[in-house]
Amino acid sequence: MIRFADPRGYAEFGVTSNFSFLRGASHPEELVAQAIALGLAGIGIADRNSFAGVVRAHVFLRENKAEARGLRAVPGVRLVFCDGTPDILAYPQDRAAYGRLCRLLTSGNIRAAKGSCLLTLADLLDHSEGQQLIAMESSTFEHAKESGRSYQDFEQAAPAKSHPAALGELIEAAPGRLWLAASMTYGSAMRGTLAKRRKTGERLGLPLLATNDVLMHDPARRELQDVLTCIRHGVSLETAGKRLEPNAERHLKPPGEMARLFAEAPEALSETLRFLDGLAFSLDQLGHDYPQELREGFATPQEALEAFALEGAARRYPGGIPTQVSTALVHELALVAQLDYAPYFLTVHDIVRFARAQGILCQGRGSAANSTLCFCLGITEVDPVFHDLLFERFISADRREPPDIDVDFEHDRREEVIQYIYARYGRARAALTASVTTYRARSAIRETGKVFGLSEDVLSALTSQIWHFSAADGAEGEARRAGLDPTGPHLAKALALARELSGFPRHLSQHTGGFVITRTRLDEIVPLANAAMEERTVIEWDKDDLDALGILKIDILALGMLSCLRKGFDLLKAHYGRPETLASLPQEDPAVYAMIQKADTIGAFQIESRAQMSMLPRLKPATFYDLVIEVAIVRPGPIQGDMVHPYLRRRQGKEAPVYPSRELEAVLGKTLGVPLFQEQAMKIAIVAAGFTPSEADQLRRAMATFKKVGTIGTFFDKMVKGMVARGYDEDFATRCFKQIEGFGTYGFPESHAASFALLVYASCWMKCHYPDVFACALLNAQPMGFYAPAQIVRDAREHGTPVADVDINFSDWDSTLFAVEPADRLPVHQKHVDRAEDIMGTHAIRLGFRQAGGLIEHDIRRLVARRGAGYDSIRDLWLRAELSPAVLEKLAEADSFRSLGLDRREALWIVRGLNKSGDKDDLPLLKVLSFIEIEPEAKLPPMPLGQHVVEDYRHLSLSLKAHPVVFLRAQLSKRGVSKACSLLTFPANQRVSVAGLVLVRQRPGTAKGTVFLTLEDETGVANIIVWPKVFEALRAVVIGSKLIAVTGRLQREGEVVHIVAEKAEDWTRALSQLSVMGPDLQAIARADEIKQPLPGRREPVLTRPPELFDAMPLPGLPEHQDARRAMPKGRNFQ
Amino acid sequence: MAKIKGAYRLAALNEGAARLGLKTGIALADARAMIPTLEIHDADPTGDAETLLALTDWCKLFTPLAAADGPDGIVLDITGAAHLFGGESALIATITQRLRRQGFDTRAAIAGTPAAAWALARHGGQKNIVPEETPETALAKLFGPMPLAALRIETHVIAELGQAGLRRTGDLLLRPRAPIAARFGSNVFARLDELLGVTRSPISPRFDAPAFMAERRFAEGITHRDHIEAAILALCADLCGLLARHDEGARRLDVSLFRVDGAVKHIEAGTSRPLRDPKAMARLFHERIETIGEEGLETGYGFDVIRLAALSAERLDAEQVCFDTNEDRASLDDLVDRLGARFGLARITQLMPKDTHCSEQACAASPVRLRAPASRGHPRENTLLLSAPSWPAASLPAPSWDHDGDEQILALPGRPIRLLRRPEPIDTIASVPDGPPLRFRWRRVMHQVAAIEGPERIAPEWWKSTAPARDYFRAEDTAGQRFWLFREGLYQETPDPRWFMHGLFA
Repeated sequence: MIRFADPRGYAEFGVTSNFSFLRGASHPEELVAQAIALGLAGIGIADRNSFAGVVRAHVFLRENKAEARGLRAVPGVRLVFCDGTPDILAYPQDRAAYGRLCRLLTSGNIRAAKGSCLLTLADLLDHSEGQQLIAMESSTFEHAKESGRSYQDFEQAAPAKSHPAALGELIEAAPGRLWLAASMTYGSAMRGTLAKRRKTGERLGLPLLATNDVLMHDPARRELQDVLTCIRHGVSLETAGKRLEPNAERHLKPPGEMARLFAEAPEALSETLRFLDGLAFSLDQLGHDYPQELREGFATPQEALEAFALEGAARRYPGGIPTQVSTALVHELALVAQLDYAPYFLTVHDIVRFARAQGILCQGRGSAANSTLCFCLGITEVDPVFHDLLFERFISADRREPPDIDVDFEHDRREEVIQYIYARYGRARAALTASVTTYRARSAIRETGKVFGLSEDVLSALTSQIWHFSAADGAEGEARRAGLDPTGPHLAKALALARELSGFPRHLSQHTGGFVITRTRLDEIVPLANAAMEERTVIEWDKDDLDALGILKIDILALGMLSCLRKGFDLLKAHYGRPETLASLPQEDPAVYAMIQKADTIGAFQIESRAQMSMLPRLKPATFYDLVIEVAIVRPGPIQGDMVHPYLRRRQGKEAPVYPSRELEAVLGKTLGVPLFQEQAMKIAIVAAGFTPSEADQLRRAMATFKKVGTIGTFFDKMVKGMVARGYDEDFATRCFKQIEGFGTYGFPESHAASFALLVYASCWMKCHYPDVFACALLNAQPMGFYAPAQIVRDAREHGTPVADVDINFSDWDSTLFAVEPADRLPVHQKHVDRAEDIMGTHAIRLGFRQAGGLIEHDIRRLVARRGAGYDSIRDLWLRAELSPAVLEKLAEADSFRSLGLDRREALWIVRGLNKSGDKDDLPLLKVLSFIEIEPEAKLPPMPLGQHVVEDYRHLSLSLKAHPVVFLRAQLSKRGVSKACSLLTFPANQRVSVAGLVLVRQRPGTAKGTVFLTLEDETGVANIIVWPKVFEALRAVVIGSKLIAVTGRLQREGEVVHIVAEKAEDWTRALSQLSVMGPDLQAIARADEIKQPLPGRREPVLTRPPELFDAMPLPGLPEHQDARRAMPKGRNFQ
Repeated sequence: MAKIKGAYRLAALNEGAARLGLKTGIALADARAMIPTLEIHDADPTGDAETLLALTDWCKLFTPLAAADGPDGIVLDITGAAHLFGGESALIATITQRLRRQGFDTRAAIAGTPAAAWALARHGGQKNIVPEETPETALAKLFGPMPLAALRIETHVIAELGQAGLRRTGDLLLRPRAPIAARFGSNVFARLDELLGVTRSPISPRFDAPAFMAERRFAEGITHRDHIEAAILALCADLCGLLARHDEGARRLDVSLFRVDGAVKHIEAGTSRPLRDPKAMARLFHERIETIGEEGLETGYGFDVIRLAALSAERLDAEQVCFDTNEDRASLDDLVDRLGARFGLARITQLMPKDTHCSEQACAASPVRLRAPASRGHPRENTLLLSAPSWPAASLPAPSWDHDGDEQILALPGRPIRLLRRPEPIDTIASVPDGPPLRFRWRRVMHQVAAIEGPERIAPEWWKSTAPARDYFRAEDTAGQRFWLFREGLYQETPDPRWFMHGLFA
C-alpha cells in the first residue's frame, strides 16, 4: 500500500499534447480525460513554445466539471531554447506572469520564420518574474526542423552559456520558483540518473519534481507516436532507428505507479502538489477585454449605441417606427446593457460604417446579426420582421459568450477594411485569429503511408482519387479498387493509424478573416506570430478557443457575390440611371420568383448549383422566407437527416404537416414540421429532450470539434432517451440527432440562411430585369460561383443580350456595357420567352481584357488611356501604347485586332514581324518604312473557323464564334446523338443519346457515390445521372473525357429532365479535328449559331499544289497545342 | 511515372495503357482516377540512357560508327557497310528483327543524311529507305507532307509556326524564306536543307574513346594462356605509366583480345578505388581468366592484337611514401578487389552498424561499399574504401544540467561489445513488477548480484514483431563479473516472464 505525503497524490506537469506538432500523440481533451480517469490532482499541458492547446484542455475540463472531481488544469509552456539551454517548463503564477510569458513567446515568434520560435535563456531571464520553472533534463531543440535559415545569424548573436552557469542565473532570477525535473521512463540508466539529479538538487538547493515527460495519454498511442516522429524527421519506420522512443513509458501514469517509481525520492511527488498550489492563474481570467469604443458626445458606449440605433430606426422607418420594432429594440438594448456588449456592437457598427463610406458593399450575418438592433444599425439588410428569432438565443446570458457577427465584404476590397482595422486599433491590439489545419483522411494516409514505406504508386492509389473517400467504404474501398488488399497486416495497420492520425492538428495557419481586437495589449493575452502574408500577425488560438474564453472576434469575410452586386449597382446607375442598393430593391417582386421557379438561375447566388436548380421547380419559392428555406435545405445537414423529402411532400401539399407535439409545433411551424435549420435542431434538444441551452450548444460543438473523444455516444443516448421519455417516436429522435450531426460539420443556421437569402434575392432581381448588367458584373467578379464565363455569356445571350468580342479599340480591362439598337438585340431563347417582357436591360456586353489570359491590368490601362480616337494599325498600337511584343502577342492570340481587319493569325504574323525588326527606338528613319511592305507576302493559309474557336477557348476560355460541338454535329447525328435542346421533346423513359463538353462533374458526399454530369452542346445543357455501378464501369470515360457522348434513359421530373447513363463514350479525340474544320460549317449548322469571322475579306490563297506531296493526312498539332488541351477539363465538385 | 512540373505524371506507357486512353503527360492522380488498377513504375531516365548506350554498343556489330542520338535514338553511319548484310533493306530487317528478339520495338530508316534518316524513322510511315542519289524534288515530295517535327526543331517554334498555319515541312518549302526566317530564326531552314540533303552534316557519334589505352601487336597469333597473361602484365605496366603521368588511376579496365579471324573477346574488370599498380591490375585479369578458364578464352587461332584500355579513370595523386604506411589498408583493398574479381564485389560484405533500439539488429552484414564513380580527372578527396563505418561513438548524452564536468558519467558502457549468439535462459529471483534480480543461475553457476542498474525497457519494433517488451539490466556479481540480462515480457502482460542472459561486459 502506497501512502502519499499529500493525500491528493500527484500532479503531472510536462505534458506534451499534439499541439506540439508531430510530437505529442494525444489531443489535449484526451489528456485531460485520462487525468480525470486516473485521479490526478492536476495536469499542466506544456507545448513547445506555444499555448495553442491549453484552451482546449481548459474547455474540456470546464465542460466536464472536472474541477469538482479534484482535477486542476494549469496552462504552461515548454520553453525550448535555441542556444543549447535544456528545456524549461514555465507555469505562470498569476495573470501578469501569464502576460509576460505571452510576450516572451511573441518575441521568439516574431524573430523567427513562420512556424518556429527562437528563444534564448536571456529572454526567459527577462520575463521570469512570477513564473514557476521546471528545469528539464536536456534540450529537445532540433536545428533544421525548428529554426529555418535564420538560426545561424541568431546563434552568433547569442552565444550559449555553460549549463551550470545558466542554472545559477535562473536560481537568481526565480528564487524559490525553480524545480529540477526528474523522470523515470525506463531509459538506459534511470536509477543512476535519478541519484545524480538528487545530488545536483541537494547541491544547488533545488527541489526535485517528478514528471513522466508525457507524450501520450495512453501507452496504446506508442505506434502513432512513432509515426509522428517519422513524419517529423521525414523518415520511414525502417530507417527511423533511435529517433523513435525505445518504449511506450511516456504516458500519463496513475499516482500509485508514480509513487512506486519514485520510491527512492518520494519528495519529488509531493513537490508536484506544492508546485500546483503556487499557481493561481486560470484562463478564465482572460476575456471580456473589449475595446472601450467611446464615441464623442456620449458618456458611455451604451448611450452611444442607443442613440445610433434610434437614429437608424428613424432612417429605416421614415413613416414612424412600428411598435413591434421599437419593443424589440428596447428589449435588445436592455439585454446588451445587461451583458455590457455595447462596445462590441459599436465596433462592428464602426467597421460597417467605414465600408459604407468607401462604397464597399457589405452585409452582416450570424446569430446576432439578424436582430432588430443590427438592422437599425445598418449591419444587415434583412428586415427582422421576416423571422422571429429570439435575440437571447444567441446572446445567451448564462454562457457569457460574445455575440457572433460575421461581416461579408466585397472580395476584392476586403483588404481595405482589414487595413482600416489595423490602423484604427493598432497592431498591438488587433490580429488575425488562427485556424488549426488538421490532418484529413487524405493527408493522413499519405503521410502514414510514407512512414510505412509504401511506394508513391500505392500512395497515389490510396489518396489521389478525384473524389476520395466516400463515407461508405473509405480507404479500404479505394485500396480494393486499386487492386490492393486492405486486410493485409501492413496496409491494415497503416490505414488504422492513418485513421487515428486524421483530426490531429498539423500546423496553425491564418483564419481567412477572423479578427481579434482587445482593449489592452493583445500580446499579453495570447502569443502572436508572423503570418505567411507580410505585415500581418496572427494569434495562436482559433475562433473556438476565443469563443470559449469570451474574447471578442469579428469575421471580416470576403464574398464574391457582393463584389458582383456592387459592380452591378454601379452599372445600373451609369447606364440606366437607377441608383439601387441592397435595401432599396423592390421587395417580393413576382417576376423574380417566377424566374426562380423556372430554375433560370445561372449565376445567381447560392441557388445556381445543379442540386439547387433541380430543387427550385419542386419547391417553387414564392416569398422571401421560401428562399431562406431553399438556401438551407440543399445542405448535408437536412439531407443526412432525411428531412428534404418530407418537407417537399408537405410543401407540395401531398402530405399534411404533422407535429410530433404541441411544444414542437411552435418550433417547427414555419417549416411544416420538418426541422431544417440548426436553431431548430438545437431547440428540439432543449424543448423535446430536456437539454439546457448551453448543453445544446455543447452538443453542437462536440459534433464539430472532438469526435475523437467519444462523447457523442453519451449525447446521443441523452437526446434519444430524453425525447422518448417525453413521448416522442424513437425514429424521429434518431433522425433529429443525425441532423444535428450533419449540422455540426456543415452548420447552416437560419440566421445565416436569411442573410444569404437576401443576396439570392438581390442577384436574382438583377438577373431577372437586367441580364446584361448582371452578366457583365458577374464576368468582372470572376472567379466565383459554379459556372465558367462561357456559361455566363451563353446565358446572357439566351436572354437577349448581345456580347461582343474583346477588341483593342473597344474593350477595357473589365467587361463593359454599351447601348445597342433594339433591332440588334438577340432574340430571347425559346425557353425563356415567357419571361421576355420582364427583361428591362437594353445594352450589349463588350468583353474585357480580363477575359484574355496572360495580360496584366496595368498594360491594358495604358492601352485604354492612350487609345484616343482609336488605333489604326498594330504598329500604331505598339508605338503609342508602348506595349512589349510579348503583350502584343497575347492581344493577337485573344483575337482582339478584328477592328483593324486582322484575324488572329494575321495579327500574330505581324506582331512577330515587329518583334524581329528591332526595337522601336532604333533608327528613326526606318520607323517610317513599314516592315510589312518590303517583305514578300507569306501567303499564310487562312485559319479555319474550327481552329479559331479552339484558340478562343484556349485564350479567352469561351468563344463567341461558335460552339465546338457544332463542328462535330454531322458526325454525331450520324451516330444518332440528339441535341440537348431536343430532349424536352422526348417522352420519359425513352432511350436517348446526347453529347457535349463536360462542364461539371459532381459527386456529393450525400449521394452515395452517384455522379452528376452537366454537359453542354451548341443548343444547351443536358443533365446526366451516373449511378455508382455504372460509374465504376465508365469511370475512365466519365473522369477523363472533355467531350463525352452519353446514352441512357430519359427521366422527367416536372420540367427537369435527366438522362440516366447506361453507356458513355469518350469523344475528346474528335476535338482535334476542329483545327481543320470550318469552311463547310454552313452546311451543318444553323446560321444564327455561327458568326462568320470576317466575311468576304480574304481571297483564297492556293498554298500547296496538291500534286507535289504524297497523300498523307494533315499532321496534328503538337501535343500542347492540341485542341483537346484548350477545352475546359470540366470542374469537379464534391 | 516521373515528377514533372511539381506533379507526378505519366512519362511513358505501354500499348495496353495507351489503348485504355491514357496519354503521357497526364497527372498520375487523373490516371489513377480513370484506371484505379493501373500498374505504375517509376521512370528511370538514367536506366533508359544506360540501356540505350548498351544498345549503341551492340550496334557496333554493324558498323563501328554508332552513336546514341537523343533520348530514344541511335544513329549508325553505314557507309560501305550495308552490303555486308545483304543490302540496305536486309540490314534494316536484320537490325529490327534482332532487336525485337531482345524485346525492343524499333523503327529504322536509311537515308542519305542523318537528318533525313531521323525524319524518316519517326515520320516516314511505311517508307524506310531513301535510295542514294534521290533527286531533290522527290525528296521534297517525300518529306513535304511530314509534320514540322520531322525537322527536329524546338517544340515552341513548331507551335508558333503552327499558329501561322504552317504545319508541314512542305508548307515551308513553298514560301519565301525571309519573312519566316525573320520571325522564327534561320535554323528552321538550315534544318530543312539538311533534310533535303542540300547541306550535309557529318555524323559525329560521341564515341567513348578510352581514356587511356595500351596495345601490343604480335606477328602471329598467341594462344597460350601464360603468354597472354604475360602480355597483359606488360600492357598493365604501359598503362600505369600513362596513368601516372596524368595523376590518374583506372576504375574500369577492359582487355580486348582480337582474334586472327576477326572475333573480339573482351575481358572487363572494375576496381574499388583508382588503381595504378601494374601487378594488382594484372592480378585482376588473372582472377578473371581463372574464373572463365582457358577454354573460356576461346583462343582459336590465337590473338594477334591485345589492347588494354582504362575505360574510366579517376584522379589518383602520387602517394607520399611514408614510414607508417597504411599498408594494411591497401592490402585490404587489394584483397577486396581480388575477391571481388573472383566472386563479384557484391558478395563481399562487411559489418555495418544499424540505427535501432533492438540490440540483436544493431549491426548487419552489408556489401562492401563501392565509391561512387567520379568523373574522370575531377579532383577528389582520396577516401578509403572501407571507410570506417560510422559506429555510434559512445553516445554523448544531450546537454543537461548535470554535466558539471567533475563527474564520471557512466561507469559502464550501455551495451556489451559482443552479444551471445542467442540469449540464454537463466533462473532468477526478482521482485515484481520490474525489480532487478537478486541472484541468478547461468550455465549452472549461481551468481549473486552486487550492483545493478535498470530496468531499461526496450519495446519491440511493433511494425514487424509482436514479441514482448524486454527489461534489460546491467548487473555486477560479487565476483566482479558484469552481465547484461533481460526479462522478456512484463509482469502485467505475462504471469511468468522468462529471464535471459544476453551478453557480458569486458
